[in-house]
Order: sequence, then structure tokens, then C-alpha cells
Amino acid sequence: MTTIITVTSGKGGVGKTTTSASIASGLALRGFKTAVIDFDVGLRNLDLIMGCERRVVYDFVNVIQGDANLHQALIKDKHCDNLFVLPASQTRDKDALTEEGVEKVLKELEHQGFDYIICDSPAGIEHGAVMALTFADEAIVVTNPEVSSVRDSDRILGIIQSKSRRAIEGREPVKEHLLVTRYSPKRAHEGEMLTYTDIQELLRIPLLGVIPESEAVLQASNQGIPAIHQKATPVADAYQDAIGRFLGETHPLRFVEYEKPGLIKRLFGGK
Amino acid sequence: MPRRREPRPAPALELKTTRLAGIQVILNSAEHAALDTHISTLFAATPDFFGGEAAVFECGRLPVDAPSPDWAWLVRELKSRGLNPFAVQNASAELATAAQQTGLLVLNDVAPAPTTIAAEPEPVPEPEAVPAPEPAAPATPTRIIDKPLRSGQRVYAAGGDIVVLAAVNPGAEVIADGSIHVYAPLKGRALAGARGDTSARIFTTHLEAELVSIAGVYRTFDAAPDAAVARKPAQIRLADASQIVIEPL
Repeated sequence: MTTIITVTSGKGGVGKTTTSASIASGLALRGFKTAVIDFDVGLRNLDLIMGCERRVVYDFVNVIQGDANLHQALIKDKHCDNLFVLPASQTRDKDALTEEGVEKVLKELEHQGFDYIICDSPAGIEHGAVMALTFADEAIVVTNPEVSSVRDSDRILGIIQSKSRRAIEGREPVKEHLLVTRYSPKRAHEGEMLTYTDIQELLRIPLLGVIPESEAVLQASNQGIPAIHQKATPVADAYQDAIGRFLGETHPLRFVEYEKPGLIKRLFGGK
Repeated sequence: MPRRREPRPAPALELKTTRLAGIQVILNSAEHAALDTHISTLFAATPDFFGGEAAVFECGRLPVDAPSPDWAWLVRELKSRGLNPFAVQNASAELATAAQQTGLLVLNDVAPAPTTIAAEPEPVPEPEAVPAPEPAAPATPTRIIDKPLRSGQRVYAAGGDIVVLAAVNPGAEVIADGSIHVYAPLKGRALAGARGDTSARIFTTHLEAELVSIAGVYRTFDAAPDAAVARKPAQIRLADASQIVIEPL
């Protein structure tokens, strides 16, 4: 059984690609055969975050158009043996994604025995984003603690509920998960940011996790190593917890409470 | 005591009477140009107001010697705007034949003859995107929504009330010809009495709406509503047919 997970948000810059890379790597680390597909044709980024940009020869659009086969286009990840990346094309636009083409590629991945396919959606609600969510079984909606991001997530949830194959065919609806990213407990505590409970109250879908704001993410992106590999950082731990919850485990929420720094911490600094 | 009988399998086909709720498209003119302009202006603001409702052409108001309108064209135009005309009523023999040729049914002796309507003062010329305000249609079932309405989603309860059991989020729109009940936070827009019913009301357990409207009279909430009703249970109604009144429940 292959499960197709779409990572989407509506708004740009909230951490979809970072999340796709980390969730895909995390699932692969747990032994699942996983593929991660960049649907952001024309603005490809996933290959950079995964650190495989120099190994891109063929891409998603080449496979859809029959210029290359899937085997040629899939790039094996550096860190996990059972993780494969299907990069987007940088020289085309999103109209190159046809519904039949996307379906064909997903079907083929299913045949090859993949457990999970992660679709990294582009921002927006146009063709590319719709293509990324059309075949979803589950959706991870990435939201930042700010009103515009929450509203866009709300909009994309509505689109999932109307345009996904599951919705159109009247099957069991796409299972939705909320992932709050770039969360700063201090700023939420001080009322500068929405709290994760505010977000959940509005979107009303189950909370998969809260990823704290961290400099480690930028570092990871620049090095081309998914943030989940940054051992012992709160971001990596939070992604691990989220993957655990996705697979049905229970983990208490971490990194969401603001603790006032004590005297010693204030005097001597430290993280 | 009657003996219990073995349940019989349902027959493959059953016949029952039904009453269709639909829209009357009243033709006052058969002239192509006039119809074309009017259809365009009528639907310009709300091109997706209708969602595939059945419609009947009412021909009783056409002059006796009127030429037959271009039925095929009319049907096409209305279909593209979400109305599904399937019949003509009170048509002269000549019109009926032409209509039949394009596949429309001909309904005869339909009770509410146009003369009675014509005798009344012309219905309000509100720019509401409805061909003719329907007086009290037979009770339409209340529409019930139990999933959150999300930004960009819009539901319309034609001819009746709507009950929403989940949140109406900012950017979502609930429209009803009757009243609107929201048993959850109402943070989007709510438009009751969409076809001019001034007795329609809006009820919610948590008022935080962007806009409320009753029979076309609307109010926005640029600033938060009064503390007495903000984020609290409230009812919204129309006083003197022109004034939105918001009261705590």
C-alpha cells in the first residue's frame, strides 16, 4: 500500500520544502521506502534542501513527457538508502504538469513498491498546487503563527476538500494534519504571535506537531542537509515527534512552553 | 396483532408524485437583443449564483403576437449561468411548437397565471440576481452543514434556511433565502434573505463576522461589534426593513 502525502500551505515561505525534506527523510530513516517529489516546477528548491542539486539530470517533467523514465530521474538520497528525490524542472512552468502525467508517475512509483510518496506543493492555489494535492491520501498543512498564513491554510483545506480525487470520487476524505512551523514560544507568550491553540481552533484539524523557529533550519538549508539530520536540535526532535505522531505514536508536545530564563542563564547566557 | 411479514425486497421501480422546486424565468419580451442585454446585466455581478436549479419559462406575459424567442440560444445562455430550463408554460401554440422542437417540455394550464402577477405592482427593482422573487415556495428542507466552511468556500441554501454546525471561517460565505443559524464561531460573511425576505434572521453562538446582510441590507464590522455581542451568542434581524439590529441572545 502506497500512501501519498501532500505537504501544502497556500502561503509561500512557511516551510513546505523544509518540512517535505525532513518528513521524507524521517520516514526513510524509520525504514520506509520513500519518494519525495518537487511539484514547484519553475522554482525548484527541494534538490537544494536535499543537497542533490548537482546530480539532477532528468526531472519530473521529463518523466511526464516521456523523455526519460522514472528510474533515470529518481535521485538516491545521500543519507538514507531508501529515500529518492524526484526533482522539478527549472526551465518549464507548471502547465507542464498534466493530471494524467502526474497520475502515471505516481502509479509507477506505487508499482515500484514505495511506502510513502511525499508531494512538495508549490505556494498558491493555482494549477501546480492543485496537481500536488489531487492524488493525496493525507495532507500536511504547514502553517506559520500569523493570520495571513492561517487564512491561506484555511483556503487550501477547502480546496483539498473539493478538488482532491478522494473528494471528487466521494471516497473517504483526505486525512488532514496541521503542522505549525517557525513557532516562537516567547513571542507567542508575549502575544506577538498566534499560539498554536489559536491556529488549531481556527483550522480545526488535528495537530501533528509544532516546529520551533530556529537558526538550525537556515544552516541546514544552506548545507543541503534536511533539518531532521541536525542531531539534538529542537527542530530535529520536533520533526521526529511529528513523524512518530503521523505513524500513530503518542508524544507530548515539546518546545511550545515559554520558560523565563533564570538568573544563572541570564548571567551566563547559553542556549 | 398483525403477524410480522417477511420484508419484501424493494421493487426495481416505484412511482410517486413530487413537486419540483424551481425558478420561473418570466419572459416579458421575445426580442433577442433585449434579452441578451438583460441576461448579461442580471448575472454580471453573481455569475455563479445558481447551482443547477431547474427552471421553467413563463410565457404568459409575452404579447399575443410575439415572435418565438430563440429557445435554443436562451437555454444555452441560462445553462451557462447555472440554470437548467426544461419546459415552457402558458405558451401560445406557435411558441409551444418552436419550444418543443428544441427539446423543451410544454406545460399547460399552470395555475398561477401571469395576469395575477402582472396586476400587482412590479416587484422591487432590487439588483438581486434573481429573475423573479418567488413568493413563499413550498417548504424547502433546511440545509445542514456539519463541516467547517473555509476561506473561499460558499454555500447557498436556495429557498430555505441553513444550519451550520461548524465554524464559518474568515473569507467563507453562507447565503440563504431564509434564515441562517451558526452554532459555532461565525467569522466569515452571512447573507440571509438573499431573495429579499426581510423577516429572515441570522443566529450564531459566537459573533465575529466580517459582514452580515439581511435582504440586501448589510453591515460590515471594520471595528469589532459592540462588547455586548462580540464573540457572544447573538441574533441579527432587520428593523423597519432597513436597519440591521444586533442583539445578544
